[in-house]
Amino acid sequence: MVVTCEQVWREISNYFEGDVDPALRQALEGHLAQCPRCQSVRDGVRNVIELYSDEPMFPLPVAFYPRLHGRLADQVEGRRISRRAWLVSVGVTGALAASAACAAALDRFGPRPLSEMSQPARRLPQRLVAIVDGGKTFHVPGCPFMHGKYHLVAPEEAVRQGYAPCTRCMRDALRSAGKITPDFEGEESASSATVEE
Amino acid sequence: MTLAPRSDPGHEHEAALIGRIQRGERELFYELIRPYERRVFVIAFTILRNEADAEDVAQDAFLKAFKYLAQFRSESRFSTWLIQVAINEARQRQRKSHLEIMRPIADQENEDGTYTPRDFTDWREIPSEALERKEIREKLVTALGSLAQKYREVFVLRDVEHMSIEDTAQALGISAGAVKTRLLRARLMLRDLLSPGLDGVWATNSQIPKGTKPWS
Repeated sequence: MVVTCEQVWREISNYFEGDVDPALRQALEGHLAQCPRCQSVRDGVRNVIELYSDEPMFPLPVAFYPRLHGRLADQVEGRRISRRAWLVSVGVTGALAASAACAAALDRFGPRPLSEMSQPARRLPQRLVAIVDGGKTFHVPGCPFMHGKYHLVAPEEAVRQGYAPCTRCMRDALRSAGKITPDFEGEESASSATVEE
Repeated sequence: MTLAPRSDPGHEHEAALIGRIQRGERELFYELIRPYERRVFVIAFTILRNEADAEDVAQDAFLKAFKYLAQFRSESRFSTWLIQVAINEARQRQRKSHLEIMRPIADQENEDGTYTPRDFTDWREIPSEALERKEIREKLVTALGSLAQKYREVFVLRDVEHMSIEDTAQALGISAGAVKTRLLRARLMLRDLLSPGLDGVWATNSQIPKGTKPWS
């Protein structure tokens, strides 16, 4: 069997997969032994396979695993609300329902988020936060999801300007500061979207 | 399509884990997905080419996998099913963001057309010693990112994540023949993009020049 250069190029991937019959393999190798152009194609394809195989191509974002497991926790482990937390959430829900009319009336005067997709802040950190001009969210300084030059402002000022909290760094920051506890997460889901503190 | 062999110990372990999760040991879901957490992010990133979106999609995919675990049929591999879920999530996100409008022309090419290599420079040596690993990775990511999506998907599943041809076909919902065709073209295009002779990509810090893209 004799093969042309075009046939070698067409089969070179299958050749590396070991997906050619013995007769064709022999013919390919016979051609490769005497054709520098096809040798170049063979060596290059082999190098491509090896390079991409060896390199850790896509490094995971910083804190990928904690954020993933944090998001899965509610569903996988189930929400465990204590009796006390349940009573608190009922009380808070009642209080919020009573104030709903006032909140609706005041809504037009409250901060309007820069992005309609963002969730307004419910709790704020007690230290300065970072905002980027033209952005829509405020961050803990150094958050990898913040791009461009930033400046620091008081969290209340960021909210007043319509910035919403970054769902990644701010949640982690508040959690580590003890502002979000498992008990309060139940309350959080029942509460309306208002700024506290 | 080849199904996972029943004698595969990994497959049996996963099937046992899934059974226990379905019977209420929900925390075992973490153990079930641990080997695939990175892979799900990588395939989402391959499609979306944006780290933040890929992370969101990866989280959504795991949540959906947990929600619909009861619908998983254990005659196929859990990993393949999970990748299918991730691909669907990423494509949905892509449609919502209208990213497909910006897809390269090569996406619309006829797959039957043969690809002719453009460069025949001797490339026996891998230049791994001449460059920093970070530099190599950047060049590889840039070259891969310049391929059309259908080639990126196949190449990443097969040559980066080392899934079999059959599992790649099943995950992408295409035939094994289509996987082989796309894999051939992806490998040849990457070879041309990375070959030292065509644009000296290994010798410079430059991005891949426009004229060297296979579809230009």
